[in-house]
Order: sequence, then C-alpha cells, then structure tokens
Amino acid sequence: MSLIWATRGRDWGFRFLRNDASGDPLPVYDAAFSGVEDASEIFCRVAATDALPAMVALRFADPAGRRDRAGRVIPHDFVVFGPLSDDIDSVEVGRQRIWPMVADDFERVWELPKPPPANG
Amino acid sequence: MDVSRALEQHIAVFGEGGSGKTVLLSSFYGATQEPQYRKQSLFHVVADNMGQGARLHRNYLGMKNSAQVPATTRFTGTSYSFSIKLKDGAGAKAMKDKPFDALRLVWHDYPGEWFEQDVSGPEETQRRVDTFRSLLGSDVALLLVDAQRLLDNAGQEERYLKSLFANFLNGLLSLKDDLLEDGKPLVEFPRIWVLGLSKSDLLPDLDVFAFRDLLIEKGADDLDQLREVLAGLVEAKDALSVGEDFVLLSSAKFDTDRIEVTERIGVDMILPLAAMLPFERHVRWAQAKQLQGKVVETLLRGAGPLAAVLVGTKSRFLGPVGLLLNIVGPSVAEAAGLAGDKLREANSEAMAKQDNLRATLTRFAMDLDRGEEERILLRSLR
Repeated sequence: MSLIWATRGRDWGFRFLRNDASGDPLPVYDAAFSGVEDASEIFCRVAATDALPAMVALRFADPAGRRDRAGRVIPHDFVVFGPLSDDIDSVEVGRQRIWPMVADDFERVWELPKPPPANG
Repeated sequence: MDVSRALEQHIAVFGEGGSGKTVLLSSFYGATQEPQYRKQSLFHVVADNMGQGARLHRNYLGMKNSAQVPATTRFTGTSYSFSIKLKDGAGAKAMKDKPFDALRLVWHDYPGEWFEQDVSGPEETQRRVDTFRSLLGSDVALLLVDAQRLLDNAGQEERYLKSLFANFLNGLLSLKDDLLEDGKPLVEFPRIWVLGLSKSDLLPDLDVFAFRDLLIEKGADDLDQLREVLAGLVEAKDALSVGEDFVLLSSAKFDTDRIEVTERIGVDMILPLAAMLPFERHVRWAQAKQLQGKVVETLLRGAGPLAAVLVGTKSRFLGPVGLLLNIVGPSVAEAAGLAGDKLREANSEAMAKQDNLRATLTRFAMDLDRGEEERILLRSLR
C-alpha cells in the first residue's frame, strides 16, 4: 500500500483514481484529511492508529493549471503511506515525488466525458 | 433553543457539480453576517453549528477579499442548520403569546456529481443514500440550471437541459429502491420544485419570464419526464408542483481577479421562499381539496402557527386534528390570502408594535411580491 489519489476531471466529479489500500478508500481518505478539508494546499503527517498506518495527506493544485468546466483549478488529493511518504516534508516535496507517478494517467483521462474506474 | 418553539423549514438545493450550490449557500450566510445586514434586519441568522458557520463565513470572505471560490464539495453531503433569531421587540411577554419564537432553516448541500456518476465505494454509496433521504424530507427543492452551461450551449440549450434533467432523473431512479421503504410512496417529500437560474448575472438580458420560456421551449419534454418520475415517488400526486416556479439567482459577480459579493441576485429570496412558499401553496392545495389524509396533516402542520402569527391572532395552535376537520381554518385562509395593501398594513402594524416575528413574516411575503415585480421570481398560479 503506497498511495490513494482522488481528483476530478473537466466534466466528471471528484472520485478515487488510484487506491493501493485494500477495500474502500473513503474512510482512509477521511481520516487523513480530517480537519483540513477546505485548504487549497495541504501537507499533513498523520500518526498511526490501531486501525491505520502512519500516512501523509497531500493536496496541491493541478501542476498544469487545468480547470474543471466551472473554471475551478483542479485539485489533486493524495494519501501517501509507507516508505514513499518518509521524506515528504512539504507540499512542494510531495508534488515533486508524487506527481510524476500519476501525471501521465491524468493527462489520459481528464478530458474524458465520463470518469474512469479506480486503478483503471 | 427549544426545538418546539422554532418553526423549521428545509430547503434542498439540487444542481450539477460546479453549478454553484456551495457558493450560493456561502453567499447567503456570509451576507447575513455583514454589519449592515445585522443592523437593518429584524433578526439574526445564526449557524446552529459554529464550525459550519465559520466554514461558510470563511468561504464568503475568501470570495469577497481574495477572489477565491469555495473548495469543491468532496464525498460528503452536509445539512446546515440556521436559526433565524428575532431581535428583541416588544418584550418577552408578547413572544409568549406566539406559537413559535424563531424560524429554523435547514439547507442541505451535497457533491453535485452524486447525480451524474457512480460513486467510488460502499461508504460513499451509503452517504449518498443518507443524504438524499434527508434532502427529500425538505419542503422546497431548488433545482439549479447553470447559466454558464446555457451560454456554453448557446443556440443548442436543449442539449444541456436534456442532460441536466436526464442525469437528475436517472439519479433519482437509481436511488428509488433505497429511498422508498417497502416501495411505499413518500408522504414527506419536497412538493415544490423551483427551477433556479444560477449565475444569472451571466445572462443579464434574461428575466424570469424569459428563463421560464427558455425552459418550456427547449426542455419541456425532459421536464415532463422528471415530473412523472417525481410523481411516482410521492403520495397525493396532485399536491406537487415541478417546474412551475422560477427564480433568478446570482451569488456574486465573478470577474477574472475579483468577486463582487454585494452584487447578488435573488439570494435574499431564499429565506422568504423557504418560509412562505410551502405555506401559501399547501394551503391553496388544501382549499382545492388536492390533499387527503396523512398528507394534509403532514403538509399543514406548520400552517396553523404561521397563520396565527401572520394575522396577529392569539390562537396558539389549530393543530393537525383541527386542520383535518376544517381542512383550512379561517385564520389560515386569511393569512394565506394576505396580499397587496392588506399585507403592507399588517407589516406596518407589526412594525409599529415591535412585533418582530409578525413583521418578519409579513416582510418575507412582501419580499416575494417584490421579487415578482422585479421579474426575478415567478410563482405558480396553481
């Protein structure tokens, strides 16, 4: 388990495009972003609990400045686990580490009229 | 606050992702927190949950001061409860004669894509069902038509309207089994579905009549289908008005580097619509004998107390049984018929006596009349 990624396309709404966790990603996502939901950029390290491992909540605006049909810049939300999260200590470092892992996927799907399935 | 002393009205705002639901909610609440509003108004709008209030206010200030739109609503629906707390008027004694001393508005917000696409997993599925159950317990539903999408489809508006109404209709159908218990039609259900033109500042030449005509010209068949589906969910199908009321809405004027939150259209109609429209309409339906049995009891439960305040009688509560026996009592009929000069007189009298509850409700009714004069509101004649 290393990454959960939630974002939206131009025409389709917010959904999970990648889920390396087993099972439903939403409870994990909620636990990571709890209390910081509205901020436009987020780096937040979340300590391990009985139910969940340590993780990093990361949010940044689409690096290419792509916008949804209402004109809002598209945000990318990540929950990062394990060794991948170890040296992330800021939004900027998170963007450098994580974005290359999903950039091509997003380029392929963001203009589709309907959303792709997770891990699709 | 004692719940029994507050008259509660629910409003459900439906719209696609990006159609401006959260912006509208933030604009509504933020405006009520401005010093001028607080000074001029006879009441305060107070968020029952402080965290929610702070969030909406932050959204509003972000638009006003930094030209930032609120964050996209993700994965969760939220019900925002606002108390309309009256300022002190003629004193506590007068208020004790009232059947209620506050209004509460519950505004349901949700991620727009929940009607447009599949959800991501079991938790979101459950949240979607729970949210729509609470949405469908509302008195009034506001279905947003996005002016930006109309502009994007200029000349072919039917394409957008077809997709808007079809998505909504299919969303409802897919949830039908989860929403109806044992397949029984719902008694509590929004009976009034107002069509609202959001971002209406983008179409400055379109008044509410032109908006209605556009929908009839380019979306009548799709609207008929939606009406049929909604009627299939509800008991007493005659007591349902879908797409018979129209309102123009604009939460703010959006320029490239500026959001002018004082340039709103129709946002001040929302509280009067939520408070007064169900009352007016339900009483009219009862008088026309379009309501029967449990539906009368449910729909008219707030009518007696509201009527008592509007006509200034001391009768505290006609009660559902009284309503069933009389269908509509004299004070209710009189209150529902208050209009024009009589309404203004009632308002002046209430203002003179510092009867702030009555003054507020009569003002709401006058606001709706004003909305019609200014061609931003069009109410059904049925």
